[in-house]
Formats: sequence, structure tokens, C-alpha cells
Amino acid sequence: MKAFKALVSAELKLSFRGVDMFIFAICMPIVVLVFIGMLYGDRAAFEGASYTFLEQSFGAVSTIAICAGGVMGLPLVIADYRHRKILKRFKVTPVSPTMILLVQVLVYALYSFVSLLSVYAVGALCFGFVLKGSWLHFIGAYLMVMLSMFSIGILVGGIAPNSKIAGVAASVLYFPMLILSGATLPYEIMPAALQKLANVLPLTQGIKLIKAASLGLSMEAVFSSILIMCLIAVFCSTVSILFFKWE
Amino acid sequence: METTIEVNHLCKAYGRVNAVNDICFSVRRGEIFGLLGANGAGKSTVIECILGTKKYHSGSVAILGMNPVTERKKVFEQVGVQFQEANYQDQIRVGELCEVTASLYKTHSDYRLLLSQFDLTDKIKSPVRELSGGQKQRLFIVLALIPAPEVIFFDELTTGLDPKARRDVWKSLSELKGKGMTILLSSHFMDEVEALCDRIMILKKGECIFCGTVEQAIVESPFDKFEDSYLWFSEGASYESI
Repeated sequence: MKAFKALVSAELKLSFRGVDMFIFAICMPIVVLVFIGMLYGDRAAFEGASYTFLEQSFGAVSTIAICAGGVMGLPLVIADYRHRKILKRFKVTPVSPTMILLVQVLVYALYSFVSLLSVYAVGALCFGFVLKGSWLHFIGAYLMVMLSMFSIGILVGGIAPNSKIAGVAASVLYFPMLILSGATLPYEIMPAALQKLANVLPLTQGIKLIKAASLGLSMEAVFSSILIMCLIAVFCSTVSILFFKWE
Repeated sequence: METTIEVNHLCKAYGRVNAVNDICFSVRRGEIFGLLGANGAGKSTVIECILGTKKYHSGSVAILGMNPVTERKKVFEQVGVQFQEANYQDQIRVGELCEVTASLYKTHSDYRLLLSQFDLTDKIKSPVRELSGGQKQRLFIVLALIPAPEVIFFDELTTGLDPKARRDVWKSLSELKGKGMTILLSSHFMDEVEALCDRIMILKKGECIFCGTVEQAIVESPFDKFEDSYLWFSEGASYESI
């Protein structure tokens, strides 16, 4: 426990020193939300919708930090710590190298929660946002999306042969998901062809789930998304455990 | 005297190449044991097989009577390690690295004392990557000493240190040895080996070609200087002194 606390505090400090997560996980979602709020504001999401465009987008914007931490931050840090032989160094201490991976997961989870809170605060204060659905469903969906995105990141970082390949793989996952899954550019304004393409991305399914939970829509309608999130998490975790490269 | 490190018939191959072949030795408590040999002779591989960071194919290894792989948590409460390469986070500072290292052990020494002993107190807030080669090397010795270990492994102990710093490190290690610490080190400096090591093993292509004291090595060779004897052993009988 002593080691866990010391590691969390050190890794948080290190993370703050590299400003990237502050920009991509904390600032970016707020900027996107403010843009959507100013452009579409309290307009109804579509003709006859019972919720506004902003309310519809809140769930999507709240996943930007999960995406940044999960498929960009985690793979890079895991590949880097392996490359620097930090994982190997932990093997000759009483603490398992798994501990530092858990600490990283916690660090990125914290970024996601801080981002969720700040996006909510900005939405509520500037645009009068209210969560229509149940908070319990929303947090459940949020955690599920986080679990599946983070498991993708651990898999990529865990099996990438080196930092360079991990970086390329992270970019290939991160940028399409950031732009096409609806996290930044609203899914609803995409042309139908693009929507079809976007549906392939795991985060698109995650956002559908979070949206349904945040708007209080029927969860049965997004059952397939729940299933996909679970399958991704199970698949990626299993492959990571089997093939994780410690050095 | 109690045996603290025991290596029996250790073998390790990379593909078809034998990296380590049938190595046997044991180190007693309070002893300094030196592994010598040219680059690529297998020193680091032997150390890593003992520590369990590399798998060996046959033989057995025990540290403090325990298996370092299956009883890892228990063994490494009492074992300090300094690897050849640096392993630290990019932006981490000296004090933070020491703090985190100390937190990994149930009992540990005060790292501030160790830093002052190795003349690094004023660097406590500096990023590790900005230290000079010698300062880094001293820091890694400090890190290996933080757990207040009973057994310590140094892979290339004083590489990169200036003569004064090397002497200081020797002095510290002799004191620790006096307190009963067992030290296994690899080194390329024969003066260091002569000054510190109770017994040595010379490796060549993964095989042991000499094991004993420095004096024995000199006696068994046609030379009267240890460096010549070492080269005679590691290069074969064709070696001629300058």
C-alpha cells in the first residue's frame, strides 16, 4: 500500500510534467463542448426530440479523455517503461511490475473522471445542462467504456515490439476514433456513409451506450453496444495476459 | 560461514549459442565476489540468471537459500541490484526516484544519508537524466543500497566514475562488507578487483576458466601482475605482456 501510494504520487507528478494529457484529456473536451454549445446550443437534437443537441453530445464529449488516456496515453507509457527497463527493474524488487501498470491505469482513470466533472461543470454552468438519464446508468456505461478502451491500450502497449510501433498503433487508433466516433465531430451530423464507417470503431459503440444512458433512453436498444464493449474488454485482457512482453 | 549465493551447473543458451555453460560457484556472507571477462563473455547473463530476470535452461540458483523466481517477494526485500543500463522514468528527479525506491521495501535505509555519503545531496531536486555519467552511476549505487540489503549485485560497478569517486565507492563497499554484506560485482577494472574482491571468476565465452583468489590467479599464470594474469587467462596462453 505504501508502495502504491508513493507510485501514484510520483507517476501523477511525472504525468503533469508532460503537459500532453492536460491538453488532450482536460482542455480539449471543454473546448469541444463549448463549441457545440455555442453552435447548436439549446436547439433540439432533431425535429421533435425531447432533448437538446448539447444534451445529446454530452456523453460523446465525456469520452474524449477516455480515448486520449486509453488508446494514446496507456500504450505509450507501457511501451516506454518496458523500453527503459523500468518493468524489469521492478522484477528485482519485492513489488511486482504489475503494480506500476495498475498505477498507470489509475492515473488515466483519474484524468477521465476529472475531465467528466469539468465537462459537466462547464455544461451545467454555461449551457444549463442537466443529465436526463440516471447517474447510476451513466456512470456504469462510462466505466464500461473506460474498461474496454483501457484494455485496448494495455494490449497495444503490452505486445508492441517497441516504442515506435506502439506510437504508430496508438495514433492509428486514437485519431480516427477521436474524429469519427462522434467524440468531437457529432455523429448525428455525419453523412450516412461516414456513419456506417464510424460504426466499426469501438468508441462509436461506446458512445452510443453512454448517450443512451445520459439521455435516459431504453438500454435495450443499445444491447449490442454493451455486448461489444464486454467482448472487447474480455478479448483484449485475455490476449494481454497471455502475450504481455515485460522486456 | 553461511552461503548467501549459490549457483550450480548454470546453463543458458541463446538459440544454439551457449551464453553460459555449466557455471558453479558460491559466495559466503561478507564476501565480495567478482565476475570478470571480456565484453560478451557472459557476466551480465550470469547475473540476470541468478536474479531471475533471464530464464536459464538447466542448473539451479539460490539467494539466501531461496529461489529468486518462486520466492521473489521475500528474496528481493533483502537484495539490492544495480543493472548496467539505467532504468528510470524520463522526467523523474533524484529525490523522487529514491522516495519511490524506498517505498517498495518493508524496511529501508534513509536515502538522504546515502545521497550525502555518495556526494549527491545537492542533486536531490535535479532530473536524473541531467546528471553526469559519474553522478548517475553513484545514484544507481545508492538505489541498490536503499533496501539495506544483505546481498547486493553490481553489474559494472564503477564504469564512468572518476578516480576519486571510484576510491570513495571502494571505501563504502569495504565498510558494508565489514558489516556482513555479500557483494557480487562485475568489473573491467583490475585494480578495483584486486582492491575489493575476495574471490573472482573469469569467464570466457560463457565458461569458467578460473575461479579462486586474485593471488591464485597470479600464481597460476606466468606473470606477476594481476592484469597480465587476467589477460593471459581470458586471451589464452598466447598472451604476451607488453
